[in-house]
Amino acid sequence: MLEIRNLSAFYGRVEALRALDMDVLSGSITTIIGANGAGKSTLLRAISGLIPTRYGSICFFGKDITNLHADQIVGLGISQVPEGRQVFGPLTVLENLKLGAFKRARKTPASEIESDLDKVYALFPLLKDRAGQAAGTLSGGEQQMLAIGRALMAKPRLLLLDEPSMGLAPKVIQEIFAGLADLHREGLTILLVEQDAKIALKMSDYGYVLKTGKVALEDESCKLLENEQVQKIYLGA
Amino acid sequence: MGFNIIFSSTGVINFAQGEFCMFGGLFAFTLAVTAHLPLVLAVILAILITGLIGVLTERLIIHPLRHISMLVMIIATVGASILFKAVGRIFWPLESNPLPQFTSGQVRLLGITVSRQIFWVIGLTAIAVAAVYIFYNRTRTGIAMRACSINPQAASLMGINVQRMAMYAFGLSALLGALAGLVNAPSTNYHIGFYLGIKGFTAAVIGGLGNIFGAVLGGIALGLVEELVAGIISSGYRDLIAAVILITVLLVRPAGLLGKRDVVKV
Ligand SMILES: Nc1ncnc2c1ncn2[C@@H]1O[C@H](COP(=O)(O)OP(=O)(O)O)[C@@H](O)[C@H]1O
Ligand SMILES: [Mg+2]
Repeated sequence: MLEIRNLSAFYGRVEALRALDMDVLSGSITTIIGANGAGKSTLLRAISGLIPTRYGSICFFGKDITNLHADQIVGLGISQVPEGRQVFGPLTVLENLKLGAFKRARKTPASEIESDLDKVYALFPLLKDRAGQAAGTLSGGEQQMLAIGRALMAKPRLLLLDEPSMGLAPKVIQEIFAGLADLHREGLTILLVEQDAKIALKMSDYGYVLKTGKVALEDESCKLLENEQVQKIYLGA
Repeated sequence: MGFNIIFSSTGVINFAQGEFCMFGGLFAFTLAVTAHLPLVLAVILAILITGLIGVLTERLIIHPLRHISMLVMIIATVGASILFKAVGRIFWPLESNPLPQFTSGQVRLLGITVSRQIFWVIGLTAIAVAAVYIFYNRTRTGIAMRACSINPQAASLMGINVQRMAMYAFGLSALLGALAGLVNAPSTNYHIGFYLGIKGFTAAVIGGLGNIFGAVLGGIALGLVEELVAGIISSGYRDLIAAVILITVLLVRPAGLLGKRDVVKV
């Protein structure tokens, strides 16, 4: 569903992505692992149209989306849960969730948005209890749930996640990944960027290892888990 | 207030805000006095035209510069201010373009004589503040504009067109500027924008830059201090007050008297 070919992106003169190729198959969970600074976030930013790319192309369902505006890309069905969650702290949980549906709100009946809201609450019931609270007062795990719920309110066909486990306690991580597994079972395609390679490879179908802006290795996740190099460098074995 | 609407959504300090006030007054004068339109109609049209000028300012002057730097955009607003003043001078060369008072005459209140205009000033300001408050808290677009000011990148991930929100911010603050120029300065000329701009900016800084409703309190505080100084010392000092307060606040409390000192970043 997503095809990336020969993609390069720069920060000033620094090349952060170098001639990168990647495929995300419909219905899969695909993961990207790699050290800090490898270019994982840059790649997600490029897909979402937050930064311009210099060479190469990104196609979504066969449509060239390279360098479209970020809001258009959301409209086509790609939502991102950005690194560090980035919830709107002064706004309430409910306002955050409704902003997730901003793009389609004008064309969608309010009742449909309400029912999508209920689906998010069913996935993360905590959000319902906190609906009227400012998002900034939530704990890290709750903010991550909110960030995911907010992205889901756009009804994406592809969900991009940038390090959803960052800074969270193991129990909370489990809860969040259980939620992601539910979403996947319901048919959502997921592209997951993770520092925690173990948890990412265990739940995904296919994995890419990124190194200094290039794909260093790619394979089915179960094979990457057994790959000696991966074990040594990313799994700490 | 207009200053802070633009600042909070775009990070740009708009030095042409005072000229929006000027346009409000001058257009209303032309429409009401020269074209003999009913006052209410003239006022509404003047506000709408100025709003359109605000939108065009963003599209034609600010928008093309967005990739360069904030400083360049701010300097561009200074340029816009000079341009607007020149336009004002060409089309309205007179020193005084008096708009009829909304209701003329004076009343005695608690032993003081006040002009009836003051009730319009207070009433319309209150209505405008309430309308903006409702807009920012109850409407989808208003909340989206707040999201843009909190975190523009995250806002664009919501499918919000951040550039369009910036355009709305300019339009809205031009509307408010026009209203302020209209009710406050029934007699407007092409160089009034500078004084009104300084006062507006001072009010915005007192309330805390980016704090939209703080600016209202800032404005009230500034007005009270000006009147006190004019009454106690001499009215000759009145126009000096804004500048003195502006510099003092910037030196002592750059975040404004009501400003948050620490912004929560998540
Ligand atoms: N805003 C930026 N400006 C300049 N360089 C950046 C910026 N963001 C990231 N980089 C650089 O690009 C490279 C990739 O960063 P990033 O995509 O954030 O890596 P990752 O998410 O894998 O940790 C790093 O070398 C980083 O220093
Ligand atoms: Mg990263």
